[in-house]
Amino acid sequence: MFPGATDEREPSDTRGRESDRGGDTDARGRTADRGGANFVVVGAPLDATTTFQPGTRFGPQRIRSFAEPFDDYDHRTDQHFSELGVVDHGNVRAWTDVEAYLEYLTSTLREVVWNDGVPLTLGGEHTVSLAGVRAVEPEVFVCTDAHLDLYDAYDGEALSHAAVTRRILEDVDPVEEAIVLGARTGSEAEWERAADDDVTVVPPEDVRAWTPGDRFTDREVYLSVDIDASDPGYAPGTGTKEPFGLEPRELRDVVREVAPQASGFDVVEVNDRDDGQAAALAGKLVREFVFSHADG
Amino acid sequence: MAKQQTEVRELQEGSYVMIDDTPCKINAYSTAKPGKHGSAKARVEAEGVFDGKKRSLSQPVDAKIWVPIIERKQGQVVSVDGNDMQVMDLETYETITMRIPEDADVSPDENIEYLEMEDQRKIV
Repeated sequence: MFPGATDEREPSDTRGRESDRGGDTDARGRTADRGGANFVVVGAPLDATTTFQPGTRFGPQRIRSFAEPFDDYDHRTDQHFSELGVVDHGNVRAWTDVEAYLEYLTSTLREVVWNDGVPLTLGGEHTVSLAGVRAVEPEVFVCTDAHLDLYDAYDGEALSHAAVTRRILEDVDPVEEAIVLGARTGSEAEWERAADDDVTVVPPEDVRAWTPGDRFTDREVYLSVDIDASDPGYAPGTGTKEPFGLEPRELRDVVREVAPQASGFDVVEVNDRDDGQAAALAGKLVREFVFSHADG
Repeated sequence: MAKQQTEVRELQEGSYVMIDDTPCKINAYSTAKPGKHGSAKARVEAEGVFDGKKRSLSQPVDAKIWVPIIERKQGQVVSVDGNDMQVMDLETYETITMRIPEDADVSPDENIEYLEMEDQRKIV
């Protein structure tokens, strides 16, 4: 469970039917009434299309674990995390059929949106953002990412994590534009796609000065943090490391800036191949999002 | 309440299901692959037939669930009075009073189709 959140993995009429996974999955029947929940943490440990080092299946568990030592109180906003109505839904266990999984995950996240909550998805590979965006149906997709993720398909896979921003732009109706912060690499074809009007790429050196200005006015926004936007020196636990990245403080400031206007959030691409640096940063950014959204 | 029991696996998009004691029409149905030892689970996204409110449920596919029995009927508008109309059931000739939906334009002698479940009705 995410520290400071309320455990929402409630037992139900299927109690006893499955109990062998330590309550870490979402395989039980659910009759939850989320009245009053402002934020719902949903783990999405998809690890199907990772292209280099795998391990994102351990992301949600790592993020929850390394968020353990954080203080409940946030001095900047004068709020207690545990008083902000955060519940943890547990993980929506992933399997290899990415399309079917995304459909199922979308449905789970949509339920959060219907109940006027803000979904906080813990990846999992970046592909899970497609489910978050489908559920929230924003006009603007903002993400921090080292990569453009604008492949039409990667290794023939249209639902690859390397193609997620393109899928979001082209397959989710309300989405009008994508803003990619911290991108520093992509194929030639991706950079050509990035030159279109519906994509804004902000290179790492310009992220510090970036603000949304009035482009979010009267529009729904979704914020996705691919942890590899950070320099791998700070967050080595990610599958496709790309040097010359963002400072953690710059990532934090992006989250603080966008969170008050975002209706959905995810942090993705954390794996277990470090000593917790990536997961700790991810967990901190989840909390920054919650504090800033609640404060904004 | 007119309803029958079935298994969650039998549900499909377009059919009806009871969620929170309310008859709902299913908009989306998706299933999760079973875990190594767990049972497969289905998610249903639905909308209240009579109140239009969106609801969802998540249950193992072999769980029992109630499906409402909703009748589709033909009627003839007998008279219109403000927001209400008198409708004659064309099968039983019973006359009932129904609220005219905001987006509907009805006039006497017009034939309509409506869904009925106990005392709840909705024009289709």
